[in-house]
Amino acid sequence: MKARVTRRVFLSSSLAAGGGLLLGYSISTHGASGFLRTTSPQSDIPLNAWIRISPNDEVTLISSQSEMGQGIMTTLPAVLAEELGADWNRVKIEFSTVAPAYRNPRINWQFTGNSESTTGFFELMRTMGASAREMLIAAAAQRWGVRPEECSAENGRIIHRTTNRSLKFGDVAEAAAKITPPQNPRLKSPNEWRLLGRSLPRVELESKINGTAVFGLDFTVPGMVYAAVLQSPVHGGKVSSFDKGPVMNRSGVIDVVPVPNGVAVVANQYWQARQALKALKVVFEGGENSNVSSESLAKQYRAALDGNSWKTVKTEGDGLSAEQLIDKFGETYSQEYESQFLAHATMEPMNCTAHVADDSCTVWGPLQGPELAKLTLSGMLKLPPEKVTINRTLLGGGFGRRLLVDFVIQAALVSKAVGKPVKVVWSREEDMQHDVYRPATLNRVSAGLDKSGKPVAIAHKVVSPSILQFVYAPAVTEDNDPSCLEGLMETHYEIPSQRVDFKLLKVGVPTSVLRTTGYGPNIFAVESFIDELAARAKQDPYDFRRSLLKDGRSLKVLETLAEKSGWKKRPAKGVARGMAYTEAFRTHIAHAVELSVNGNLVKVHRVTCVIDCGVALDPDITRNSIEGGTVWGLGVAFKSNITFQNGHTVESNFHDYHIAQMDDTPPIEVQIVNSSTKGLGGTGEVGPVTLVPAVANAIFAATGRRYRSLPLSRHGLTLATNL
Amino acid sequence: MTKVSFKLNGKQTTVEVDPDKPLLWVLREDLGLTGAKYGCGMAICGCCTVHLDGEAIRSCVTPISRAAGKKVTTIEGLSSDLSHPVQRAWMEIQVPQCGYCQPGQIMSAACLLAQNPRPNDADIADAMSGNLCRCGTYQRVRNAIHHAAEMMKKESVKA
Repeated sequence: MKARVTRRVFLSSSLAAGGGLLLGYSISTHGASGFLRTTSPQSDIPLNAWIRISPNDEVTLISSQSEMGQGIMTTLPAVLAEELGADWNRVKIEFSTVAPAYRNPRINWQFTGNSESTTGFFELMRTMGASAREMLIAAAAQRWGVRPEECSAENGRIIHRTTNRSLKFGDVAEAAAKITPPQNPRLKSPNEWRLLGRSLPRVELESKINGTAVFGLDFTVPGMVYAAVLQSPVHGGKVSSFDKGPVMNRSGVIDVVPVPNGVAVVANQYWQARQALKALKVVFEGGENSNVSSESLAKQYRAALDGNSWKTVKTEGDGLSAEQLIDKFGETYSQEYESQFLAHATMEPMNCTAHVADDSCTVWGPLQGPELAKLTLSGMLKLPPEKVTINRTLLGGGFGRRLLVDFVIQAALVSKAVGKPVKVVWSREEDMQHDVYRPATLNRVSAGLDKSGKPVAIAHKVVSPSILQFVYAPAVTEDNDPSCLEGLMETHYEIPSQRVDFKLLKVGVPTSVLRTTGYGPNIFAVESFIDELAARAKQDPYDFRRSLLKDGRSLKVLETLAEKSGWKKRPAKGVARGMAYTEAFRTHIAHAVELSVNGNLVKVHRVTCVIDCGVALDPDITRNSIEGGTVWGLGVAFKSNITFQNGHTVESNFHDYHIAQMDDTPPIEVQIVNSSTKGLGGTGEVGPVTLVPAVANAIFAATGRRYRSLPLSRHGLTLATNL
Repeated sequence: MTKVSFKLNGKQTTVEVDPDKPLLWVLREDLGLTGAKYGCGMAICGCCTVHLDGEAIRSCVTPISRAAGKKVTTIEGLSSDLSHPVQRAWMEIQVPQCGYCQPGQIMSAACLLAQNPRPNDADIADAMSGNLCRCGTYQRVRNAIHHAAEMMKKESVKA
């Protein structure tokens, strides 16, 4: 896709430069430091929505994407700087406001998620950087009276090569801004790259190591007060009554304010609000979900899987259904796989700061969905969108949770009620019990096999609640949600007849996007199943997979995995290996896990991961992401589980919602295979996708026992990597 | 309300607060030091880790009264210029992702190295398993601790 430079993009830059309290970062030779500045300097000259240059030669690059650990405020500005020819050590980086120019071009919507910050913005960033470079060169060439072709941009200067004259960007920025942005600027080829393809220090790294990084929880504005919230324990319930009298005379308490499904105590300090909230008597009304439990949900899933009325979402070849397979093939094989409910459990609990005045609303927060926040608040407060300003802080983890705006709405409502800027902070308990969970899923996979045991027909049945309902409703219909089908609609395995049937389940608990979305559960099913077929065919899981693959990138990733993991060498005595492969989020990924099982203890000795994400624009940030995704996957495979009782979430903190920790972590090796810049893939979510089935497959290799439901703790297995 | 005096990052400090108020919230709300983070409020996640007389403690469950007359060190006071070997190792190995848990990780690591300058993997697992990282940076945390230990040995400095 070729990004177009339009006047709209240019004009909206004035919006970006319009001021407000912006969070920015500057890079120096010593790394970076965070700073808050009250307004963008009016003297800055925007060349487009993404690049501003001051007369004294400061280059500011805009990050439209939220920084939640994926390194995007380094990688995308580096793409701009690469094409611009800026001096990377002197640029400043600032988060954008909400404006059309900053939308993801693929779906014309401003958000950070779905592992598509790099894939969505790469071409646009290149084009914007190159366009601004050509404008600066044209201005310099005009001043010198030479041809632009004789000039180039390097390290923040325009150079006239034949005479070796040079001008600083700042010297020509004003003239450059008057030049019509070129529509088709020349993009640098990867062999000209100086920043991309190299590992850069994260621009905000220093602030995260000296304690100055500003997360949502750390952000303050003058006159701000704090709110602690308590929401209906039963999902979908509401407050029936509360008596604020007894807490109003407590130290620091300002008011008790109703919010959509709960109450907020407002006080001068958060600790005061939190203590007062504990003393507040609130009566809740559970409503229709009061009897929902893990048991009732399991029955609902079972009835759905065993029932009729499926929506057929894919047929390829003969598209035989599971029932037809039995008629057609003498030998069929069928198994069910179950993935659990999961919480996001970002280390930074949900929080948001808002200031609602008579005719305006300003928000500062750790947000993945700033445009949804803007539209929602504009509608709710009956303010024109231009009166709603959304600013972003750093995010203490996102994983999809912060695409939602429930906590943003609360902050705005409470601010409106007390007439002051308010920071709403959720306790960990509120955060965990009022998450929107990764839905549990139930999959049945059936295959017709040829004489050698290879699948020639495969049929999936998938039962899942909605993933996209709250974050991208236009994609969801009464009986379909494309995210629930990820990983099944297209596969690289060469199987002539394929079919996918889906049942979108309505459940009494909230479900939404969480790192890996549909790929996680679906690939757990597919890669476990393929492993089972390999075992039935008495074939090595690597050879079996290879025999089903023709795609060059798939094979390269799988072969590199075999090489790096030493797959063909016999493992140490008592040690077994498992693997899994897929393409997810446009990245090809394969994991090999080496483990041993002693009774119920599983010791993971080593994990090898190979990815092909096209080209890793920043190899070290990419590796960090995959290492982290691998660790996340260990938690999903063994430990993490959300359960329900009487309509509410049982788990409330990290003592009963378990995530992977240091002593679970084996040595992890990540190998990157670069194929082509044409097919960039995401790396933020893909890490856990193949790790989970690779673990289950390795346990089968070690014990002969096949586990088809998660987490493995429900089968009594404990992760004991460092025991 | 009670007056509590202690040494904070080398400076004598007095606050007048509820003696039960956790050190974490005194640091964040009364003293403006936001490096230590709130994560769980139950001493499980380690985001709030600071040093109390050289011990790594969970400030979210430590009443301010316990700090009276003692030395408190937060991430802001570990060094003024990122020169602490743990911070240098963190920079070199590019440990953080989202970064929210990292002040706690760094404070726990600094305490570990002060008490055990050459920890092995098992020592690190022991000392660091109470510091949760949702991004999963544990391998880099482990590598950075080993790296800091090497730097300390080479330069004959203490954590």
